[in-house]
Amino acid sequence: MRRQLPGIALGALVALAALAALVAVRPGPEPSAAERGEVLARELRCPDCQGLSVADSPTSSAQEIRRQIDELVAGGASDQAVRDHFVARYGEWILLAPSSPLPWLVPLAVVIAGAAGLVAWLIARGRPAAVAPALTPEQRRSLREEVEALDA
Amino acid sequence: MRHLRWLLVPLVVLPLAWLLFAGFGRDPREIASPLIGRPAPEWSLTMLDGEILGTDDLAGRPYVVNFWASWCVPACVDEHPVLAAAHETHGEQVAIIGVLYQDDPADAETFLARYGDAGYAHVDDPSGRLAIDFGVTGPPETFFVDADGVVRDKQFGPLTDELLAQRLSSIVAVAER
Repeated sequence: MRRQLPGIALGALVALAALAALVAVRPGPEPSAAERGEVLARELRCPDCQGLSVADSPTSSAQEIRRQIDELVAGGASDQAVRDHFVARYGEWILLAPSSPLPWLVPLAVVIAGAAGLVAWLIARGRPAAVAPALTPEQRRSLREEVEALDA
Repeated sequence: MRHLRWLLVPLVVLPLAWLLFAGFGRDPREIASPLIGRPAPEWSLTMLDGEILGTDDLAGRPYVVNFWASWCVPACVDEHPVLAAAHETHGEQVAIIGVLYQDDPADAETFLARYGDAGYAHVDDPSGRLAIDFGVTGPPETFFVDADGVVRDKQFGPLTDELLAQRLSSIVAVAER
């Protein structure tokens, strides 16, 4: 029984991973126009708020942007076309998450470089200091003589 | 190895300090407008006197679009005489159009009665559509459109006589005073 345990655990793990993959890959139902509008409204910055999305703001600018999103989506515009419509007016600033991968990659690169530096430092510190070369028989003899002279 | 530690200060700490200083010292909304060098948005809106004014009426003429509001105090109050003086001096060459930004036309009338109506046109933008087309984040913001209908410059925040003269020179040959 005890021997079978790792096998059972492994089997369970594989089954769980397969289930997770199935759930992740299975295409969901096509999002409705209203759902797409809601997702886009969450991505766009409300122009006259402090750090709020269009979806989270009640200002008339946010309402008008929301109305334009729905109009564009109803007119058959792709998600990217809707984003581009507002970027053409406000610049990249209107996107709450930057579209360039650089702001995401730079902190990651810094963390990796820092971890690598830390590991290199720990390895260098853990290595024992170079062993002093052994004394030659001659030095050993003279050292013993000096010690004996001190004791005398 | 030990002397390398001193390189940390100029290589890491100083650029970081500069980045933070430069980043936090700026208003993130004060960005170059993507509209500059591109055709201005088309519009047709109702003026305070009830007449319709639009880009078609301005064809072939350079114009200034000033987004303002009666509640935009003190910035819009401060720049009001600047625009009034510009209309007085350059009104023949350049059309100045005030656009109400999220404002009640009646409040705008009160503002003009109080601070002086220079006589240039003001249009209402009830849906805020024109403000969005120009990428406005808050009044006052002013755009400078040349005779070909191309946006040439933008002012974020209140105009002064100097700033207005400088920005006007992007759309019209203004005689030096």
